[in-house]
Amino acid sequence: MKQYHTQTELGEVGRYVLMPGDPGRVPLIAARLENAVHIATNREYVTYTGWLEGEKVSVTSTGIGCPSSAIAVEELYRSGADTFIRVGTSGSLQPGTKSNDLAVVTGAIRHEGTSSHYMPIEFPAVCDLEIVQAMRSAVERLGVRYQVGISHSKDSFYGEVEPERSANSEQLKDLWRAWQIGGAICSEMEISTICIVSSILRARAGGIMAMHGEGEFGPLDGLIVAAVESVRDLIKMDKAKAA
Amino acid sequence: MESNGKQYHIQLERGDVGKYVLLPGDPGRCEPISRLFDNPKHVATNREYVTYTGTLDGVPVSVTSTGIGCPSAAIALEELVRCGADTFIRVGTSGHIQKDIRSGELAIISAAIRDEGTSRHYMPIEFPAIADIDVVLALQAAAKKTGAVHRTGITQSKDSFYGQHEPERMGVAKDLLERWKAWEIGGALCSEMEASALFVIASMLRVRAGGVMMVHAKEPMPPLDILLETAVQGLRELIAADKAAGRSVTL
Repeated sequence: MKQYHTQTELGEVGRYVLMPGDPGRVPLIAARLENAVHIATNREYVTYTGWLEGEKVSVTSTGIGCPSSAIAVEELYRSGADTFIRVGTSGSLQPGTKSNDLAVVTGAIRHEGTSSHYMPIEFPAVCDLEIVQAMRSAVERLGVRYQVGISHSKDSFYGEVEPERSANSEQLKDLWRAWQIGGAICSEMEISTICIVSSILRARAGGIMAMHGEGEFGPLDGLIVAAVESVRDLIKMDKAKAA
Repeated sequence: MESNGKQYHIQLERGDVGKYVLLPGDPGRCEPISRLFDNPKHVATNREYVTYTGTLDGVPVSVTSTGIGCPSAAIALEELVRCGADTFIRVGTSGHIQKDIRSGELAIISAAIRDEGTSRHYMPIEFPAIADIDVVLALQAAAKKTGAVHRTGITQSKDSFYGQHEPERMGVAKDLLERWKAWEIGGALCSEMEASALFVIASMLRVRAGGVMMVHAKEPMPPLDILLETAVQGLRELIAADKAAGRSVTL
């Protein structure tokens, strides 16, 4: 039986799923897997499935925002996935960040409405430790610039980039300052909910982002390679653990 | 705030503590923990704050009690950072949330539920209370070495001990019971009273914090020895990793 929104079913996706926001990025990521094939396209959900290190790995877009991302996680889990890795672009919060620096996300600020439908706000949106380890080892091996830390997951893109237009602009600016003081590194729109829904499902979640910072934002190849290599390292870790 | 050059509450100054500090809740546990250090010396006692400093592998390390609850734990952390400490392991006991945990298992804490008032004085509630990944990895390596039965996950940090143990007595009984069920659904392992504020404040101060708790479930609690040994071994692992990474291990 196909899932209502993602139009995937058991057997069609791998245990590991890379999750960009943009459906247009799915084939670009899938091209880095072995023997990837198109599985389904419905609404903002595009899915390809291929292979890495002998394991089935999928790529499914979430669309922008936590509401559509929660649906993707729920339905992919019902299709056999249990490891969700968000890959995409983000703003940056810490000084000295250069465009295309990578963010390895450890947890997320729940500045959105969806995850509160799952858990009280006091509950932490935390990434799976093994995923964070795999990402750290992958970016170290690749020798790219990266930061490790907390992501700000928000519901309003324009509330972040043009806060002065909002009726609650002072509040938005105060909160942004709070996230900076707290040491958050990047700002995007999906990870907190992916983490919270995964906690409830006892699944694993993580995220790797290319940040906008100083200088021109370049192509995403570096991000995509780092995300795919992270999954490769995670598969190796999982196999070593199972052995 | 200082008095006679010493931090106001913990009565310590720079040079009194190492960069690595264990944080039990109970002042009475500081002396037994210090016996696992080399050359331990009592440094200060004031209110619920008792501090001993010794060495591990030649590197200065300390143990400071926080007292019960986030209000006093926040003060301890702030003042220890002002004395130069930058790596913290909370060590103590906790209640069980997941029903398959048995008394004596260790919970290595990856993050905390902010079910308390103190951390809101630092950061909006949406901000996650997350343990430092290197501290978590060090504690996992330590538990493997000490042979402790352990798992890694989330703790609930609460403000009311009796609200957890006797919720039906409380005016907010329904709320307490519903929220406990939520923490169980979310996969939280254990319940204690300090980790969330320590993690949020550590994020703000750009220092590292983690925690290891012995969990109290249905069975009687065993002695705490393996908990204390694991926490101390965790410091050793961090010191070794820092040395390997070329990071300074002394003030």
